[in-house]
Amino acid sequence: MLSCRGLRKDYVTERGEVAAVAGIDLEIAAGRYAAIIGRSGSGKSSLMAMIGGLSRPSQGQVTVDGIDIWGLSENALAAFRNKRIGYVFQFASLLPTLRLVDNVALPAMLGGGARSSVTYARAATLLGQMGLGDHLDAYPSEVSAGEQRRAVIARALINEPALILADEPTSDLDEQTEIEIMDELMAVNRERGTTLILVTHNLALAEQAEQIVHIAHGTIVP
Amino acid sequence: MRLLASLALQNLGRRKARSLLLIIAVAVASGVVFTGATLMRSIDSSMAVGFTRLGADMMVVPEGALTNITAALLTVEPTDLVLDQDLFARAGIASVSRAAPQKIARVEHSGIGSHHDSVDLIGFDPALDFTVRPWLVERINRDMRPGDVILGAGRDAALGSELLIFGKPHTVYGRLGRTGVGTHERGVFMSFATLEALAGSVHGPNGPPAVLQKGKVSGFLVELAPGAAPLQARFAILSTLKGVKVVTGDSTMSGIRQGLAALLNGILALMVLMFASTALMVSVLFSAIVTERRGELGLLKAIGARRGQIVGMMVIEAVIATGAGGVLGVALGVLVMRLYERSLVYYLENIGVPFVWLDGPRIVIVAAAAIVMASIIGALGSLYPAWRASRRDPYDLVRGEG
Repeated sequence: MLSCRGLRKDYVTERGEVAAVAGIDLEIAAGRYAAIIGRSGSGKSSLMAMIGGLSRPSQGQVTVDGIDIWGLSENALAAFRNKRIGYVFQFASLLPTLRLVDNVALPAMLGGGARSSVTYARAATLLGQMGLGDHLDAYPSEVSAGEQRRAVIARALINEPALILADEPTSDLDEQTEIEIMDELMAVNRERGTTLILVTHNLALAEQAEQIVHIAHGTIVP
Repeated sequence: MRLLASLALQNLGRRKARSLLLIIAVAVASGVVFTGATLMRSIDSSMAVGFTRLGADMMVVPEGALTNITAALLTVEPTDLVLDQDLFARAGIASVSRAAPQKIARVEHSGIGSHHDSVDLIGFDPALDFTVRPWLVERINRDMRPGDVILGAGRDAALGSELLIFGKPHTVYGRLGRTGVGTHERGVFMSFATLEALAGSVHGPNGPPAVLQKGKVSGFLVELAPGAAPLQARFAILSTLKGVKVVTGDSTMSGIRQGLAALLNGILALMVLMFASTALMVSVLFSAIVTERRGELGLLKAIGARRGQIVGMMVIEAVIATGAGGVLGVALGVLVMRLYERSLVYYLENIGVPFVWLDGPRIVIVAAAAIVMASIIGALGSLYPAWRASRRDPYDLVRGEG
């Protein structure tokens, strides 16, 4: 389902060109839970950004369900991100001026197509499934960090994506909340068949994955 | 579109103080532009009437003619000497903007007034005139026709009534206001054709005056081209036209006319500068706003916002703020104009310019133009920073780069 070929990402710094990802070949089957692990600066987030259509590779190809995503036009890639990928970032990624229900509905609204009432009903349902049914009208600043992260997972699911990319989604949460969030993500993978790729440096979280990709110095460690 | 407008409005609400300062800054610029444009157009149209009432800058008469110089050059003086009517048309002097020919014949026993009263019959070319008709205070509601006459303020007859001149019937077409210039006060004004038709009835010691012949005039009232120096124009006329004398009027009036024209150009330049600096300010501000919000913009791109949506959201945000500034500026401008209306009108009327505000619909057009310009400046100012941000990869924006 997901295939990377010769993937490379170079950054130009004051000390010259640095390879964050130095030629990676990778296959992840549809519906699988995969964990990309590695130390800070190993290149795992850069890899995830290229897989998710967020950062253009210096070289190489990313294919999702047979589509070369970096061969798509700017607008087609935006539509691809919107419809096929759900993101859970390592920071609080809700828009502070929007209520939780607005934040969850936002990707569907940006994509267009669905009626607003249908989108909002689905957003409310998803928030309810994440235990936030009583907080639809709350603003991000009015709920806890864990609740914000649950809202982000609900947002990632609003367009029923085939792939969820979670980049250190629990790095700033306490242990109990981390367990709850990971339970939610794994439930999505298990119950909806959504491919889940988790980027983490937490080996305990990675151990539950069906596939572990260990990155060091921009390459996969065998 | 509604979603983008809603996001833009919410973004404006996040930094209320900054948004308010932006709105006020644009309001000041729009207010200056609206007030300046309204005053400029009002003064411009007032000048069209007022300055022609101030009279000509110069009078060109036959060399040797006696002249009676008054503060305002409104008519030439009666003389036996004549010039060709197409003198200026043939010469084409650059420093002369307009040259209005006039015929003037001082006649007795015309049937106007008491039997021995002398009357100045003044012929003018309606197509070139700029010193007679600006003084019309009342007239029949139609164009002037052959046989129509206009009376100076010192003469009394009802509009539309019949006036016999040398026994020939004429229609009183209009009456002039008080000018303080004798010839104007006592004169009976008519077109060249109407005056020439009287040639057979007017008899002087040596027959009918030469000025009543077709193609001959008593002199010209001259208005200088904008920026032309009176002395330079005088030399140009004297070197080009033979057998003429140049009489200059009150140089203060020419000075005021040219000074106000320069002032209006200054106001226009100020307006352009105000708008240019506002556009720069909006651009700098939105560069900072984009930098501050690049994480959010990256997030929006990550969840599927297209480049057009990112640019649209930022531009709408700027247009809402600057448009609101434009509306506020127009309101402030109206307030300022109301406050200074009395002193401004008093000042202008004191120098002889009857101040006339633009009519309501035109003020609305100027106000709408100021608001639209403010909005366009918002759009232009925010377009480049928004476009630049929209080109970045979402991951770079999320990481705070770009």
